[in-house]
Amino acid sequence: MGGTTIRLLLAVGMLLLGGGARAQQLSIWHDLGDNGTKWFNEAMEDFARTHPGVSIKPVSYPTDQWFGRVTAAINTDTAPDLIYNNYERVIRIATQTGKIMDLKAALAGVPDHGYLSDDDLRVATYRGSMIILPIQRVQMAFGARKSWMAKVGEGFPVTWEDTKRTARKFQDNDPDGNGKPDTFGFALQASNARSLIHMLDLFVFGSGLKHTVIDPDGKIVIDEPRHAQVLEAFLRIFANDKLVPPDTVNYAFNEMYQVIEGGRAGFFRVGDWNVNKWTKQAIEGDFVAGPWPKFFPDLPNAVVIGGMRGVAVPENSPNKALAVQFAQFLLSKPAQQISLNTVGSAVRKDLDTSALVEQSKRFANPEWNLVAYDFPESIHPWYSQLEEAYYRKLMAAIASPPADWQAFIKQTAEEMRATAKTLAAKPN
Amino acid sequence: MTLLRHQDRVFYLFAAPFAALTLVFGLWPILLSIKVSLSESTTALARAPRFVGWENYATILADPLFAASLARTLIYTALAVAVNVGFALAYALLLNSDVIGRGRTFFKLAVFLPVVTPDLAGYVVWRWLYDQSFGALNAGLALLHLPGFGGIASPATAMLAVLIAELWHHAGFYVVIFLANLALCDKALAEAAAIDGASAWQRLRYVILPQLRPAILINLIYALIQFLKTFTVVVVMTKGGPNGATNFVSYFAYRLFDQGEYGQATAAGTILFAIVIGISALAYGLAKRGQA
Repeated sequence: MGGTTIRLLLAVGMLLLGGGARAQQLSIWHDLGDNGTKWFNEAMEDFARTHPGVSIKPVSYPTDQWFGRVTAAINTDTAPDLIYNNYERVIRIATQTGKIMDLKAALAGVPDHGYLSDDDLRVATYRGSMIILPIQRVQMAFGARKSWMAKVGEGFPVTWEDTKRTARKFQDNDPDGNGKPDTFGFALQASNARSLIHMLDLFVFGSGLKHTVIDPDGKIVIDEPRHAQVLEAFLRIFANDKLVPPDTVNYAFNEMYQVIEGGRAGFFRVGDWNVNKWTKQAIEGDFVAGPWPKFFPDLPNAVVIGGMRGVAVPENSPNKALAVQFAQFLLSKPAQQISLNTVGSAVRKDLDTSALVEQSKRFANPEWNLVAYDFPESIHPWYSQLEEAYYRKLMAAIASPPADWQAFIKQTAEEMRATAKTLAAKPN
Repeated sequence: MTLLRHQDRVFYLFAAPFAALTLVFGLWPILLSIKVSLSESTTALARAPRFVGWENYATILADPLFAASLARTLIYTALAVAVNVGFALAYALLLNSDVIGRGRTFFKLAVFLPVVTPDLAGYVVWRWLYDQSFGALNAGLALLHLPGFGGIASPATAMLAVLIAELWHHAGFYVVIFLANLALCDKALAEAAAIDGASAWQRLRYVILPQLRPAILINLIYALIQFLKTFTVVVVMTKGGPNGATNFVSYFAYRLFDQGEYGQATAAGTILFAIVIGISALAYGLAKRGQA
């Protein structure tokens, strides 16, 4: 009997040991391409030192496909263990699925997370639930082709007047020297609401303003004099000044990147995640990044913080506990260092920046003024619908420019006030 | 009788795999899609969806964007069907005539090659052709001192630009159908009419076209289905723009799907499906009645 008991205990022990040592693979879906995949693989190498047998399978989707795939997977209980993206996209996932885990307890379990500011945590929180662990701050600077500026005899622009003048020269003075009129002032995108508003946001926040459409109290700000001034300048780029490729009205991210990397535009957005690639390939370092154009003498212009990127854990993650541990690990110093080296951004401030390329160092140790997005999605749940309606108005105006932009802006603001009122009155 | 039953059995044996495939990959997804259209979007793909009846349909039908998209789709379909079938008929008649001599094989290849070209690749090239800054089309027009074409960058010309690209891609298929039918036509009838003094137009109107009725019917119905569902060209070339000028129902539904609005997306898809079935059946019925 005693022998049987011992054998049974041994067998149970073996099973438990076997179970403990069983290989586990975490899956994570992101949109950062090869750099992101490299980041997660290297981070997992570090994580696996304390979690033997654990591996990771990062899968990168194009940004515009990521949302649909993640939503469908979570809703059909085929969710990955972790998802990674910008806070606003995770908000949409949370809204559409209702299955994103609250990570407040997970953050509380991360020792020494004082480097995350209240603003960072506010962005990561939606309807009282911490939907992402913020891993990277998103910085978006104004970029200019270095060689083109030299060719047209201009420096990095400071004011809007500088910017417009230089953009015109980029367009008219053949800065690429190929003898063809095939260069443009700006590379922008305007094929849908997100595209256009995203571009407008950069000019608005970059000028030092705090909101694009609506403030936290629900007040529409479009027609406030300073907002109206930036908005008119932005719309004129497309409609009157024509400083973008005419096909920009059909451009999304892919096409915008083709214009930038194909050397067809002198001014463009530079995200911290673009710097590595654009230093080594594509533009091959022929760019300078800095603050967005200055519109107001008394308001400092800035590089825009476009929120936070982070990891979220679906409620139906197949390996939820381990997924949370890996998410917490991504805030550790070694993992953050890997994030900075591979993707170009992080949230910790105690990282070694000596190995970064010069342009990346400027993002890692910013000396420029920073202004953050206002995150209206986290305050007004119906914001995306308001944004869509606003975009349609702007697109129509770009297609048929009004004679009086200020009158158009005034009228649009009134319409948006009515729309916001209707949307706010709807039950959630 | 026994032999007939045996033939029936053989027929059903051969037809069964295709019937099963149609059920699994044709009918089942349609039924599933209709089920999703009756569910709340956030639970539509879950194991226990919450059914909301006709709510998604009501939302879609009340959306002015959908109404505009539907109207745009119907206008585009009418234009595209007329242009494609008309062009294909004219092209096939030319190929079948003595006007084109030795070049016949070249012209047949020229019109059919686009059909076998992957649509994605073809439309990317068209996008480049239309490009306002480096596109070959406007470069050519400039050489001829002609005004530029707005192409897909202008709301006024985007639908036309898409139609031309689709004509390039699809017309060859309709030409082949017409050529097959023309090969079966009785040439003696046209010759007899000529001897009787019928003009070229009269021979076409009263002798050739009646014999082409089967091909016209097939092409019309196929083109109706094809253009009501126009999608790939929009995704590749315009993304529904500019300013919604090419936002046809398929793309409208796709955008909703992309935003996680599965219920509304499939409701829009189901409405389009019903329209496709309805118009096709109507066209078929009218054509059949004309034959009787």
